[in-house]
Amino acid sequence: MPRKMPYYVEPYDLVGRPARFLEAFAAILEHSTYGPVIDFYARLKTRCARCPDLCPVYQVTGEKRDIPCERSDMLLEVYRRYFTTRGKMKGRLLDDFELTDEYLDDMAESYWRCTACRRCKLECPMGIDHGLITHLARWILSEIGIVPKALVVSVREQLEGETKNTSAIPVPALQDNCAFLEDEIREMFGYEAKFPIDVKGAEWVFFPAVSDYLLEADTLMGIAVVMQITGGSWTIGTGDFDGINYGLFYSDRMLGRIVRNEAAEVRRLEAKGVLAGECGHATRAAKGFIPTYAGGENAPPVMNIMQYTHRVWKEGKLPLLAGAIKERVTYHDPCNIARSGWILEEPRDILKHICADYVDMFPNRRENYCCGGGGGSVSIDEIREFRTKTGGKAKADQIRATGAKYVVAPCANCKKQVREVCEDHGLSEVETVGLHDLILKAIDWDRVKNVKKETA
Amino acid sequence: MDAWLDFARGPAFRFALAVMVLGLLRHFALALLSVRAILRRAGDKTLPVTQIRKATLSWLFPVKKLGHHTLFAAASVLFHLGAIVAPLLLAAHVTLIEASTGLAWPALNPLAADILTLLAIGGLLVLFVVRIAKRAARDLSQRSDYGVLLLVLVPFVTGFLAAHPGLNPFPFTAVLLLHFLSADLLLFMFPFTKLVHVVLLPATQLVSEAAWRFDPDAGEKVAKALGKENQRI
Ligand code: SF4
Ligand code: SF4
Repeated sequence: MPRKMPYYVEPYDLVGRPARFLEAFAAILEHSTYGPVIDFYARLKTRCARCPDLCPVYQVTGEKRDIPCERSDMLLEVYRRYFTTRGKMKGRLLDDFELTDEYLDDMAESYWRCTACRRCKLECPMGIDHGLITHLARWILSEIGIVPKALVVSVREQLEGETKNTSAIPVPALQDNCAFLEDEIREMFGYEAKFPIDVKGAEWVFFPAVSDYLLEADTLMGIAVVMQITGGSWTIGTGDFDGINYGLFYSDRMLGRIVRNEAAEVRRLEAKGVLAGECGHATRAAKGFIPTYAGGENAPPVMNIMQYTHRVWKEGKLPLLAGAIKERVTYHDPCNIARSGWILEEPRDILKHICADYVDMFPNRRENYCCGGGGGSVSIDEIREFRTKTGGKAKADQIRATGAKYVVAPCANCKKQVREVCEDHGLSEVETVGLHDLILKAIDWDRVKNVKKETA
Repeated sequence: MDAWLDFARGPAFRFALAVMVLGLLRHFALALLSVRAILRRAGDKTLPVTQIRKATLSWLFPVKKLGHHTLFAAASVLFHLGAIVAPLLLAAHVTLIEASTGLAWPALNPLAADILTLLAIGGLLVLFVVRIAKRAARDLSQRSDYGVLLLVLVPFVTGFLAAHPGLNPFPFTAVLLLHFLSADLLLFMFPFTKLVHVVLLPATQLVSEAAWRFDPDAGEKVAKALGKENQRI
């Protein structure tokens, strides 16, 4: 009998699950490019036990099932038994391993205990990418109906709902929201910054995590101000204004559909590329997969807003006050942009300039710990305790050790998770913010106004 | 006895060597073919080449990892150094290989060879101790992991004893025969055990990056195969 999962799953067909899992696995092996990879990994089993030292989940639980190599081996074992000649023969002769309902439940639990942060890969001499195996395992599981409800409802609304975004914000509400933010900026700073909407021919189409429109006013105002001051050419598209891509976390089918929509919106607006907001997974999903699903070499380029801001600041177009933020500040590297060594120094350069007291957490950059809510798990409220106390413990310890007042987490998912981690670990004085929230506080308005006068 | 020795270092050795070389070549070729197969179907055919090269080199020549972390990491690096260099450059081996294959190269001086052999043996013992002492390693280990340690240990120990008759309490010929046979077995087993990592390691960073290069139509094809093309989410 199937076990109750730690996360809510919508009702699905419970009959013959192992057989249907194998059917889905077979279809994916046949029609995707995972086959050769899985076959390669299945032959590589050194079991050297270096990876558990790097996994934040294992470090807390010490449980065998949380060893990265062990977790990956769960799926590889199914592959060896059912999809290799040797395994099929051995299975027939020795009857040694069979995919049961229980084994399936163990996988369903295990592959959602891993945040796919890929930290473990750093120390694997064999370069095994456990994040990839988790990614694949979740896809197969989702094809038989095992997937956290929190993620499916979001994707459903984004791909097939009326509003076409994960927060179900209707276009008029978006427009109101933007007008409201423009008013706020005017009131606070006496400055006219625009949130351009549906401007054809703008250079960049803006894709933040759509939840920022509800939760992160300061981040968005910071971005709009930076764009206005530096003459950035950007627009929000009413056809698609949500960078969130939960397909990255459970299904390549959804991943592909979501990034295709983004690329289509860029083409509709005759823009050059995607400007991803402060969001790790949205940025990686677009950067990593728009070329795959929307045109290969001719796909629209993808840039993260922090890269843009860093560039214009370096070019001298963005006047920022040195040391404007007096309290201690630290920076959390979102796994999806930092693990591969992609965006590391841009935010740090800016922070070191505008903060009087900036400290790095340790370890950091590529080796940084996941916030504990990666891989979409942050959306699953029913596992909050696991997320914050287990997966997020290393993060809490890191933050505490810095003694920082502000944690800059330039990612919608990390922000939610870091706030909850701080709440659950008694770090109530810590405030979690975006990079552009602090930039907004550090704008040298005198020089901005001067710049405007000079050019006028 | 002599006939046995000749067999073990003659035909049996050549057979084991052939199995090892062919088997490992096959594994390596499969790895490269798999990358080609992926890229042929991938929507994005580019790869982060610099990153791959850096990661591969850092594991092929793990100098930096030496000071890193743990006793285990250091032992592992030293073991690999000894285990790769000593057998290849030992004078007696060079002669034997030349006799079997016609290929020859300069040999190591005996003291250096001894040190490397002892590094290999010492490293192996530390690896064994870590495997049983460290909880995660113990949890992860299967019988074959201990088997492989033994498989590698025997030829090194018997080889060392054979080279130092003064330290060897056992009958010389028996030790020598055991050395030959265990070494043959070790070579033979390379392609069939986790020892294949010796040829897969140089390819693995490449495979792991290529792994994220998906077939753009995979999703639709999978949906069709599972009868879900028109199903709502
Ligand atoms: S990807 Fe992250 S959470 Fe998953 S096993 Fe590796 S280190 Fe642990
Ligand atoms: S570090 Fe790599 S090879 Fe070693 S146990 Fe972990 S996954 Fe296996």
